[in-house]
Order: sequence, then structure tokens, then C-alpha cells
Amino acid sequence: MTRWAMVADLERCVGCQTCTAACRHANATSPAVQWRKVLDIEAGAYPNVSRIFVPVGCQHCADPPCMHVCPTTATRQRADGIVTVDYDLCIGCAYCEIACPYQARFLVHKPHFAFDAEMQNEAERADPARFGVAQKCTFCSDRVDFGLANDLTPGIDPRATPACVNSCIADALHFGDVDDPDSNVSRLLCEQRSFRMHAELETDPGFHYLYGNANGEEQESVRPAADSAMAGGQIRTRGVEPSLQKHWDWKAASNFMCGGAGSGLFIFTALTSLWYGDLVPFGWAALGIVALGLSILMLKIGRPLRFIYVLLQPQRSWMTREAWIAAAWFPLAALALWSKWPALLIAAAGFAVLFLCSQAMILQAAKGIPAWRIAWAVPLIVVTGLAEGSGLFLAATAPFAALQPLAKTVAVIAVILTMLRGGIWRSYLAALKTRGAPTGALAVLYGYRPWFFAIGLALPLVLIVAGFAVATAAAPLFAIAGLCITAAGVAFKFILVTRAAFNQGFALVHTPVRGSGYAGPAVKPGWSLS
Amino acid sequence: MPGKPTHDERTVATYCYQCVAGPDLLKVRVEDNIATEITPNFDAATIHPAGGKVCVKAFGLVQKAYNPHRILYPMKRTNPKKGRNEDPGFVRISWEEALTLVADRLNAARAAGLTDETGYPRVAASFGGGGTPTAYMGTLPAFLSAWGPVDMSFGSGQGVKCYHSEHLYGELWHRGFTVSPDTPLCEYLVSFGANVEASGGVCGVKRHADARKRGMKRVQIEPHLSVTGACSAEWIPIKPKTDSAFLFAMIHVFLHEHPRDRLDIPFLEDRTSSPYLIGPNGLFMRDAVTRKPLMIDSATGRAVPFDTVGIDPALEGSFVVDGIEVDADEEIIAHKAVTACTAFTQLVAHVKDYSPEWAAAICDVPAATIRRIADEFLAHARVGETIEIEGMTLPLRPVSISLGKTVNNGWGGYECCWARTLIGCLCGALEVPGSTLGTTVRLNRPADNRWSSVKPGPDGFMQYPMNPTSKSEWISRPTARSAHRTLVPLVADSAWSQALGPTHLAWMMQSEDFDKLPVATPPDVWFVYRTNPAISFWDTKAVGEAMAKFPFTVCFAYTRDETNHVADVLLPDCTDLEGLQLLRIGGTKYVEQFWDYQGFALRAPAVPPQGEAKDFTWIATELAQRTGLLAAYNAAINRGAAGVRLSGKSYDFSLAPEAKHDVETIWDASCRAASAEITDGAESQGLDWFREHGFRVKPFPRLRWYLYPKLVEQKLRFEQPYQEQLFRIGKELGHRLHEQGIHWWDKQLAEYEPLPRWHDLNVLWENALAKHYSVRIADYPFWLITARSMQYSWGGNVGIQIIKEVADNVAGHGSVVMNHAAAERLGIGDGDLVEVRSPLNDTKGRVMLCEGIRPDTLLMIGQFDHWVTPYAKDFHAPSMNALMPMLLDLTDATGSSADLVKVKITRLEAAS
Repeated sequence: MTRWAMVADLERCVGCQTCTAACRHANATSPAVQWRKVLDIEAGAYPNVSRIFVPVGCQHCADPPCMHVCPTTATRQRADGIVTVDYDLCIGCAYCEIACPYQARFLVHKPHFAFDAEMQNEAERADPARFGVAQKCTFCSDRVDFGLANDLTPGIDPRATPACVNSCIADALHFGDVDDPDSNVSRLLCEQRSFRMHAELETDPGFHYLYGNANGEEQESVRPAADSAMAGGQIRTRGVEPSLQKHWDWKAASNFMCGGAGSGLFIFTALTSLWYGDLVPFGWAALGIVALGLSILMLKIGRPLRFIYVLLQPQRSWMTREAWIAAAWFPLAALALWSKWPALLIAAAGFAVLFLCSQAMILQAAKGIPAWRIAWAVPLIVVTGLAEGSGLFLAATAPFAALQPLAKTVAVIAVILTMLRGGIWRSYLAALKTRGAPTGALAVLYGYRPWFFAIGLALPLVLIVAGFAVATAAAPLFAIAGLCITAAGVAFKFILVTRAAFNQGFALVHTPVRGSGYAGPAVKPGWSLS
Repeated sequence: MPGKPTHDERTVATYCYQCVAGPDLLKVRVEDNIATEITPNFDAATIHPAGGKVCVKAFGLVQKAYNPHRILYPMKRTNPKKGRNEDPGFVRISWEEALTLVADRLNAARAAGLTDETGYPRVAASFGGGGTPTAYMGTLPAFLSAWGPVDMSFGSGQGVKCYHSEHLYGELWHRGFTVSPDTPLCEYLVSFGANVEASGGVCGVKRHADARKRGMKRVQIEPHLSVTGACSAEWIPIKPKTDSAFLFAMIHVFLHEHPRDRLDIPFLEDRTSSPYLIGPNGLFMRDAVTRKPLMIDSATGRAVPFDTVGIDPALEGSFVVDGIEVDADEEIIAHKAVTACTAFTQLVAHVKDYSPEWAAAICDVPAATIRRIADEFLAHARVGETIEIEGMTLPLRPVSISLGKTVNNGWGGYECCWARTLIGCLCGALEVPGSTLGTTVRLNRPADNRWSSVKPGPDGFMQYPMNPTSKSEWISRPTARSAHRTLVPLVADSAWSQALGPTHLAWMMQSEDFDKLPVATPPDVWFVYRTNPAISFWDTKAVGEAMAKFPFTVCFAYTRDETNHVADVLLPDCTDLEGLQLLRIGGTKYVEQFWDYQGFALRAPAVPPQGEAKDFTWIATELAQRTGLLAAYNAAINRGAAGVRLSGKSYDFSLAPEAKHDVETIWDASCRAASAEITDGAESQGLDWFREHGFRVKPFPRLRWYLYPKLVEQKLRFEQPYQEQLFRIGKELGHRLHEQGIHWWDKQLAEYEPLPRWHDLNVLWENALAKHYSVRIADYPFWLITARSMQYSWGGNVGIQIIKEVADNVAGHGSVVMNHAAAERLGIGDGDLVEVRSPLNDTKGRVMLCEGIRPDTLLMIGQFDHWVTPYAKDFHAPSMNALMPMLLDLTDATGSSADLVKVKITRLEAAS
């Protein structure tokens, strides 16, 4: 087998960005679209300071999260390990960009130029297929393929070697087949110590970092006093520490806000319809809310006319599964609401649960976002969806006296769900803290915590208890409680998607030796735990 | 080649010489006659020290060609008023009109006499970037040669932004206009602020990366953690401008804390002046008859001339001898039975008090650290070991010291350059494999290689072309507005000398009189190419005001900029990818350009010129014709003014002198001559061959990297440690200046010390600023320094988007870099907008906080402050240039100062 991989020697790299510029040239990327770039990281506290230059880009993971989440099969993996993007299939949903823990993917919606006007070289190399779709480093696969077709060895012959490697003036970048024990990169990995970034995420990245001679002493320098400095935030980490993802904004969040509350409402509506009269309008409203979320999402994607391609990857992508579930659920739900057949209502409620679960799984599958990917995120999203549904149901039933007995039952369920949600929320936050998370994400979530408990738990509980105590005011009290439960859940998802969605950032397992001395300790800025 | 299928695709080989660390070779991918991609030239992989690669700057060349902000047509000024706030009112004109305008001015100047009533040339020219513009200006040097005297002393940054003292003293001591470690063999390098990873070019980066992998330890001593510091084994944050104390302490450790046999005694005895006897007046004791310096033969105890064969010179001691001292103006001081000690003994006494403990307080570096560095240096010197280079056995001394900008220029430059060179001598680590080497000559002749420039001079040293200081020969009437030959003997009189004098004097004299010097006139015609002194010099406000008074300025213009804002005519020349030129490559050049080959590379036009931009050779030829200088111009080309002499022993491709030759004819002849030169006349392929192959080389012996064999061959010594010659000519210069009534250069005269003493430069700087601006210097608590950037330095590429884009990935660009704790004390946060004010001026910028800088230091990388240059004017990046005063008090004896000023910082608004 062959597995193409990149090896970056941190002892050699000087951070000159020649590879960055060469990549921009070779691949004719738009300004600021840097498939390859070099980070400039400082660690330690004066005067014991390290400064490290770290080439980054697509790591061509063996188990690439971007591919797993891609709903269209646009992102694929070649037999030689190179992860590719088919611009003709990609719908520009940016899910892959969220899922990538290396910030390697870009989405450019329209042409933009170095200067105000398009230059001749930009016009000559313009590629309209790139707009509105995901793009990233290809390991210059065209050059690799050209080389293989012409008996050239990628990584050895420049014509078969990625442009960044060719251009590297420090000979810090190397490319080759890590499955070949005699290859250039295998030899380097054998002779020198190496690590892979974010290896703990188990994506098996194809990008190795050399940090010292294998024959050198395995000892760490005292030079970069990483922990103390990082704790105080006293290191220059712009562009290195986790940053808030920009790909999914309020439009993407709307899908989760509306999808959770809407599907929850539908579940309560469908199930209570088994015993109660005409609750059909609530069901239509629930579907409308979900449809609204999906429609707003359509505004977000880069290639909306290709939205149907979202159905192409049910075997892997939860986004595809969500689409298929929605595709089955909506007609089924419509039929159930129209026919009121109990079996159909139960089936439709079941699909609503699946839809809710698929939304939770969409977030959890995004490996690039620590606040989403932990297991507790799934029950939290599901339970808050159900709680929101119960809350909306309480609010919706308030005007109808005939439904008040039902409301009391639902209020009890709402209390149970809300308390369950509160418990899961605590476990979710505790898990984040225990396993480590971007400090930015924790700050946002902990900042929201009092509101979540006050509006989403304490106040509704008080109101519902009061409703039971003061029967004459039960309807409005339940309604307000329900709206509070819903608002807290919807706001939580808005915050989770648009405010707490800090990416993985960049991290080093070791700082490198520089000619003499020892490798330094790990650097992982912007994390609660390193 | 891979890539999308295209209509018409080709690659063109050319070179990049955008910075002094070039030239390097590259290829341009051209699709449908449009340049689209820069790539390395792997055809040169085996002959180029960096494998045929180019640095990030070269990747700006495509955008450079198609930049919509380019000036594409000749333009003339319509607003006669000049100044920052005056709109030049440039209007498009034809080349015919533009050239006529320029030629008329030139012809008028010529008719009035090549020099004006004050003796200064009527025509002046300023070129940027350490001579690199010559790689793009075609045959303009031939035109300037044909013209006659041209004042090149209006500086654009040299002196304050170059390795000035190193250039001058380096050439004197070891033909080292620029100095480099022998990186491929070096094992221990102490680098005082030398920013090789930013300014060493691809060869520097490659050689140092290879050296790191070999295990070379580099200790970086500088106030902030530069990219070079980042890539070093150790960073020592030294207080700005105190490096000489650290170096002196290293010498102290060598001489007072280690046994003598740790030093390279044979080297000191035979290759330096260490055994020379010093008389009571601080001059060499000389033989009364031959006037040769004396030393003691240990075997006989007798004083004998230094070149007496078969003696065993006494390195140390005091001796009673007869002899003479030859003082300034040939004054003979005869001695009988006088006590004289050796130069080495004087040196030992000289550094006795310069202990690490003494230096620690000055440098803010622990004494133990200084001592450890000295000990490690000595331990790595391998004194006594040898290596074979191309069949010759040479000493192997894999230790070196590099000096960076602000260390090796301005006050203190002399001390640092002397100490660095002397430390090499103490270990025998100068101009031998692994050690400190010079890389090029610019002041000595011939300049084509360092070996050729080694000629025997007086007293057993290499000959050096000092400007005369004797009564009969001293040049009392300056030949250029910087008075370089009048004031600076060391700067010599080569083609480069004018630009290496005190170039700020040329600007200062435009607004203030220097007593007893002719009143400086503005030049009748000023040519400007690839330089922008209005933002790149010090005290840029004053420079801008001075140039606004020049009557006629011709700028070869790429885009509008702050200097051509005051131009009368703008001439658009072909950019790097459009013009045609042949360039000498290889051998040893600037910085780390050590090749095993030498030859020529062609800058073949990859794409047609945009608009009406013209090849520089076409412009030069037109000017020559229109000024009636065609014959002299062609003759200059034939002599080699375009880079290669057109005739040799067995070939002659000379141009017909009276004819007007087109661009391709001129370069075809150059290519043929280059082919013939390389093949000793056997071949004569011309332009077409070079277009096809890009370059042509022949081997360059590695032995020639080292000057030591040449000195041994000629039985010469390095002029170390004792600077008797400088001491004497300093006195002579003082006599001449005082005879003329000039006393404003006295401070500089005091620098001519035979063994330089340490001076408190922090106090010198503070006192100069306090005195001239009547400020309380305590109100300016920070030292402001700068650093080079690989992305920008010398490139003239600040208006190129891709350069800005990638430079922004490197921390510090466009910011005021400040220590986190220091900022916290002042309530300044990351990203805050601040004003940084020196006693002269202020600049504004956003703060970038980091740990890798001293708490008493601020850093501003590169040179910005653009207010006209398209794109760059919107950066809002701070620049220290406007904050740097031009003061005689801050000018050293070589005529240079350093990028250093005291400032205060004020927070203006919070981070956005």
C-alpha cells in the first residue's frame, strides 16, 4: 500500500512563509486562502521563551472526520490516503470545515482579488468551480499523479512533489510514502523523534512533525515554562489558540433551534393526539417550525441549487441521515395529522425523535469543535429538544380550557424533562472541564449557566408549582413556564453553535531542539487543560 | 508539467535579486503570455547553495507585474510646488516628451559644468537596497560612467540601516565587506542580533538549517526574540547597544581566565601583529632604517623587523629597545633604550577590567552566562586541529561570531567589529574553515573576488585604499555632498564609497551649514530608482522636506510613492519579469552566498511589459544618445559597466562605439562575452543560448572562501589586535580638519583608538537626545529598535498584496511589539492603539504583546509609514524612521548611526 504523508521538521522551519506563497501560486487560491501556512507560536515567559514555526494544513487523515460528515460524498479518500474534494458535488454546507480539527478547509463564496480590480494572472487562473464549495490542500495530487504516470517518485522528483515542499528553503518540508519503509519520509521518521498534532482525536493524521534527533537524549529543556505562562495567558497565541468557528452562523444554528423545539412539539402533539381531540394545528405548527429551520439553513449553503446532493451519503453522514429522516418524516407526519391514525401518529412521533437524535449526532460528529463532540452533547440536545417541545406544548395549550387537564400532565412531564436537562447539562459541563476544552468555550458556557438554570429550570419549576397551587392561574403560569423552558433551550443551542463553538486550535506535543539542547514541553494554548 | 490543460504554457528561467542576500534562480510559469506562478529553478539544484530555490519575496513578482497601481506611462508634474501636501498633478506624456525633458535638463547641467560652483556634481542618483538595483537597471551604470561625476551620497537608509562599521572595518581587516560564519563547518556561533533567518536569504536559511541538523549551537544575543533567535539553541535578551561590553568580557575571559595554550599561539605570532612592539606614544616601534615594525626574537632577545626570517617572536612582555615611532604627518620620534611592550601585552592589560561581572551590570546578562558563552566558544574552537580543503591543509576552527544591524553600525560598531575579529584571531578562527569569513569586497579593488584584492601593504598587513589624510593629498573640498572622502578615510574611493559615507550629512547639509565646508547645493538633476528615502531614512520628515527643494527629480517609478511624490518626471521601467539583463552569479557574495560555482544568469523577459514600461537598457541608451554620450556609453559597456567585459585575450564582442544598439544586441554581446569568459574563449554562445538554459557556470574553488591561504602565500598578517594605522590617520585627519577650522567632527576623531575602550552608549544616546531636544530623558523610558523581515526587506514590495498577506502570518509585522509585563504595568492591552513618541516625532500603531522582548524595549519590524504608496498607505503600521533624529552626536567616525532611539508610549484607544 501507499500512504502519502507530509513530514515537517520543526528544527529546520524558520516560518518564512515561502511554502504559503508557493501554495498560493501553484493552486491559484484566492487572497487569504492559505491551504498551507506556517504558524508562529510563542511559549514560555520572559526570559525563558520559545518561538516555534509550525507548518499546518490538511493532514490527510486516514480516518478523516471531514469525509465522515460530508453529506454529498464530495469529500473522499483515495487509496493512497489523499483526501479529495469534488467541487462538482460539494454543496458548500461547511460541515467538513467544522468537523476538521486542523482548520484546513476554506469556503469562498465569490471571487475576490488581491487588489480592487482583477489582475490578468487572476483572470487566467480563475476557477468558478471553486466558489461556494469547500476547498483545501490536495497534497498537489495532480503533481503526484503526473509523477506516478511518468515514473517519477513523489517527494523526490520536484515534478511529482507538492509545491510547498519544492519551495521550502530550509528543507523543512518533506513528502513521501510512509508505508514504504525505505522512503525518504520513513527514514526521517525513523532517524528523528516525531509527533502528530491532535493525535488524541484518533483521526490518524498524515502530517508528522520532527522535533529532534532520535539519538538525542529524551529530556526536555527547562526553557519554555509553558504551563505557568499559559495559565496566565501570557503568550502570544493569536491564530494558534482555539477560535470561534465562523462557518456556521445563526442560519445554521436556526436548524438546531427550530429543529429541536419543532420536533419536540411534534412528539408531544402526536402522542397526545392519541387521546385528545383535534391537536392537528399544533402538529402543523411543529412541522412548520422545523421546516423554517431547514429553510433558513438553505440560505447558508454555498451551492443551494445542489441541495439535493445532501442525500448522497447516508452510510456515514448524520447530515444526510437528517435529510433522509426529514424526507420520510414530513410526508408521514402530514399523513398522520391528516388521517389521525394512531399507528401513523406514533410512527411520525418516532421519526421526530430520530430527527432530533440526528441533529444531536450532527453536532457530536463535528470533531473540530470540542464543545460539540463530547458524548454528553447528544443527550443534552435530545433532552432539551423534548423539553422545548413540552414547553411549547404548554404554551400552545394555554388558551384552550378543554386542554387544561392534559396541560397538567404535560407540565409534570415538562418538570421531569427540565430537571433531567439540568442534570445532563451539569454532566456535560463537568465532562468538558474534566477532559479539557477551549477556555473560550468554557467561558461562554459558564457565562450562560446561571441564565440556563434561572430561566430554564428554576423559574419554570416555580411557575409550574404555582400553577398547580393556584388552579385559576394555571394556564398562564404553565404557558410562561413553557416559554421559559423553550427559550432557555433555544438560546442554549444558539450559544452552542454560534458562541461556544471554539475550534480545536493548534497544539504541539513538543517544542523542537534547535541545533543543540533538548526538546521543550508541550504547547497547547487556550485550553483549560493541556 | 502537471496542471490544468492550457492553451499555451511555458516556463522562463530568470533570477531574483530583490535583496542583498541574492541572487537566486527561479522559473516563471507563463500561460497565454501571462505570468502565473513562480517556482524554484531545479536545473540549478546542484550548483546553487540553496538548491535553486528562492525565498518568499520572489513570489510577489507575479502580482508586481500586474499590480493595477503600476505607473504604466511616462508622467510629468504639473504642480510646480513640491511637498507632502502638494498634489503633484502628474499627467501622462509620451516617452519622447519625457526623455526630452530629462535630456534637456542633463544637457543644461553638462553645459554649465559637471560640478557646480561648490564643487559638487550637478547630477545625483540614489539607488536602494545595498546595490541590488544594479541587477535591474540594465546599462544605466554605463550611462552614469559615461556622464562623469555623479553624487550618489543622498542616502536612502545606508549608514543607519546597514552593517556600516562592519563594511568598512571588515574590508580593512579581512576583506569582509559583509561577514559570515563558515556555516557549513561551523559548530558554535554567537550571534549578536544578526538576523540571518530574516536577512540571510535562501542560502543563509538553508545553510543554517543544515547546520542545526548537524548540531551547530547558535546563541542569539538580542533584545527581542527574532525569527533567528527563535531558531537558535539559546536566546539571551541583552540590553540594546551594550553588545561591546559582552564581547569585551569574552576577550577578558580568554585572556585572563584561561591558560595561554588554549589560544592559537602560532596564529597570533605569525598571522597578527600581536608580537609587534608598541612605543611610548602608542605607535609601533620601528626599525630606524627600514621603518618596519619591530618584534622581539625570543631566541636572541633582540628586536628585529617583523619580517625577519627564522625568528621566534615574543608574544608577550616588555622589552628595552631602540627604534623610532612614526606619528601622524610622518613625524619621527626616535627612542633609545625605551621600554616597549608587545601589542598582545597591551591588549591583555587593556581588557583586564572588562570582566564578565563588569559586563553583567551593563548588559543586564548574568556574569555566569557571559562566562559560559566564552568558555563554550573556546571549547568548540578546536585549536590545533586541521582540515583538508581541495588538497590544502588548513586550520579548522568551527567557531564564529555574527553581528547584526545596530550592533555593527553607529557608535559601538568599531568596538564590536574589532572585538569580534580579535576573538577570531585569539583562537585562530578568522578566514579559516569553520570560522568567521568575509564574503565580498566592495571598497578594495578588484571586486570580482576576495583573493585578487589581497595585496601586500605596509607593516606586513594587506594594502587598504584609505582616503588620504596627508597634508598634500587630503581632499579638503568634498567631491560629494556627504563629504565622505574628506571625513572618512576608511570609506576609500570605489564605486561604492559615496553610498557608504555619512550619507545623512548630504541630507542635513541641505538645511544646515557645516562650518568650513562648501554650502551644499541641491543637485540640478536627481535620479531615483528602487528606493524611497522619504520613508526609509531616519528623520524622514526632514529628508522629505529636503528633497522637495530639489529642482528636477527623475524617478524610475513602479507605483506612486512618497519620494516620487516630489518628482518632476516619472519613467516606468520594466519590472523584474519584463526586463532583460545578464548578471554575475556565484563565487562569494553578500551574507551567506558562498557558491562552489561562478558564472552568469540571464533575466529573460518572461512576459511583455505592461503599458508603456520600457526596458532599462533602452532608457539608458536613449539618455546616452540624447546627451551626446553614446560613444562613451558604449565604451563603458565594452569595459564591463554592464557586468561583463566584452573583450578578452582571445575574444572581442565589443559594441561599435558610435552606433546606437538595441537592447538585445547589447545583451547578446554580453552573453557571448560571458560564455567566452567562462570557457576561456572556447565558446561564445549568445542570448539565445542563455534564454534556453538560463545560466552558465564554472567551478569556483572552495579554497577561495578562505582568505587565510592567500595571506600565508603572501606572508601577510591580519591587522589585529592593535590599530596603529587607524590611530595615526585619525590624528592626521584631525590635523587636517583643524587646519581648516573644522571642529564639529572632533567627537568622531576620538574614535580612532588603537585599542578601543568601552563607551557607555546608552548614556551617549540619552545625552544626545536630551541635549538636542531639551527633554527629560527619563520621560522616554523605552528603547525602540527595529528588525528586518524576510518578506519585505529590500524588496520594495510593500504594495504587493501577497507579501502583506503572508507577512501577517509572522508575528510582529505592522505592530508595536511590547513585553507583556511592561504593558500590564502601563495598562496597555494586546491590540490597543498607542502613540510611540521620541523626542523628535511620533508614530502610531497597534500593540502586540509577547514574552519574547525585554521589558525596556519596543520593536517595530520593517519600514512603513507610507502615505502615498498605494495599498501600503492603508496599513496604518508604525515605523521608527520618523522617530530617528539625524544628529552628528549620534554619528560615529565611519559616518554611521544605528536604528535606536528612546521613546515613550501612550495608550490612545482600546483594542477593536
